[in-house]
Amino acid sequence: VAIIGVGHSKFGKRSDASLRELAFEAYNDAIDDAEIEPSKIDGSVVCSATHYDKQRSPAGVVAEYLGLNPEPTFNVEAACASSAVGLRTAWALISSGLHDTVAVVGVQKMTELSSEEIQELMGRAGDVMWESPFGTTMPAYYAMYATAHMSRYGTTEEDMALVTVKNRKYGSKNPNAMFQKPVTVEEVLKSRMVSSPLKLFDCCANADGAACLILANSEQAKKLSDSPVWIAGLGLASSPMALAGRKGPMTSFEVSKNAAKAAYEMARIKPGDVDVAEVHDSFSITEILNYEDLGFAKPGRGPMLLRKHETELGGSIPVNVDGGLLAKGHPVGATGASQLFTLVKQLRGEAGDLQVDGAKIGLAQNIGGIGMYSGVSLLKA
Amino acid sequence: LGFEKFGKFGYVSQTKVAPMISFLEKDQLPATRCKKCKTLHFPPRADCQNCRNPSVDWVPLDGSCTLITFTEVHFAPPQFQAEVPYLLGLAELKEGPRVFAPVDNNISRPTLRPGIHMVLRVVRRSGDGVYYQLQK
Repeated sequence: VAIIGVGHSKFGKRSDASLRELAFEAYNDAIDDAEIEPSKIDGSVVCSATHYDKQRSPAGVVAEYLGLNPEPTFNVEAACASSAVGLRTAWALISSGLHDTVAVVGVQKMTELSSEEIQELMGRAGDVMWESPFGTTMPAYYAMYATAHMSRYGTTEEDMALVTVKNRKYGSKNPNAMFQKPVTVEEVLKSRMVSSPLKLFDCCANADGAACLILANSEQAKKLSDSPVWIAGLGLASSPMALAGRKGPMTSFEVSKNAAKAAYEMARIKPGDVDVAEVHDSFSITEILNYEDLGFAKPGRGPMLLRKHETELGGSIPVNVDGGLLAKGHPVGATGASQLFTLVKQLRGEAGDLQVDGAKIGLAQNIGGIGMYSGVSLLKA
Repeated sequence: LGFEKFGKFGYVSQTKVAPMISFLEKDQLPATRCKKCKTLHFPPRADCQNCRNPSVDWVPLDGSCTLITFTEVHFAPPQFQAEVPYLLGLAELKEGPRVFAPVDNNISRPTLRPGIHMVLRVVRRSGDGVYYQLQK
């Protein structure tokens, strides 16, 4: 199975567009990119964390607005990892032989909600029986991993700030990113506390946006495309939602290690073979944990990659050189597809100023919610 | 019904483990133990995860535990905004299971660090709510 076309809307506060119109922007871009007739699409997978949408069951209106009726459409939800699950769903639909060419549309409209509604939703991000009744938030959960990593390995708030500084630097060169201005370590450290030790600039922002991928079986891909990007490995795993149900010192995500292991095995490659990576930097600390969980660094050594600039352009493993969630914004359902959009551009050598020279293998990692889902996808040129 | 009394703000009212509330009201920390394979569950479960047996006994916990990690929340959901900043912690109980709970807000922050010994104790909220909290 290959990706033969990709599309991306501008991310950010998109008060000019509705959910279906955002989806259209990305879909239109992807169809133009694939240079195929829309009639080739015989199914769609709409990835969205639907609790944010005013529209219930958004696949209905999205498939309609994109002109994809009467072909089947699927609504896929796995919080922030919705698109990773959508990719796997489309891969399975095509591999089964049921479908030939499928559009995966990640889309989310978040800024329409009042901050009160957003905060109420955030308060129920965890286990509503045993943890939400104590006033949990999304940042609080990740902050608890940060506290544990700092205590066990000596990771500092400056190390975490380096993630934001790096990603905002690259975001300033990505026209689709929500934040276009670089920030300094000092600005990150001085931003207001959200949940200790995480400050405002350690956290990604809610956004509106969409990204689209056109997938095809190998026969169609070779026929329709002169630059298909192949899906070499897919890993997806789950973990207890309750923090109290997880094991170990809380300095890594077991769910990401499991997903990575499955993806590397399927693709028969090692972490060192990856040329460019897009990882889930919902918070600065998450990117550091991801380096370790994906095998780019040994446990506790994630910050060293940042201190030595190894995850920047020109380093041994460039990560989030499109700005990541920290600069692009995080339209939940669209984020995973946005990561894959970037990888496809990189592997085709079309990433412009942000190109990783000679990139042949790309890795995308997408975490859902507070770490109950994680998907790792490996693409090959 | 009855479980809405659990926590600082209860979202869920209906569960098979609602009898937990009456134990908390007697200042006891209740876990469940599978009648068949004797696996201890905390937070309490009505159904054994180990052997799928849906029959459990209520057993008290000591409350003695070790702090694994924590955070101080400054930006809170609407129902909790009057309390900021407040502390949340994850600890491992002497009996083995882990607990996610608020940490006593009167604790001096510099003394709080992963690895310290703490005690899980029952506390009341205004009204008739009840929950547990990590204390020194």
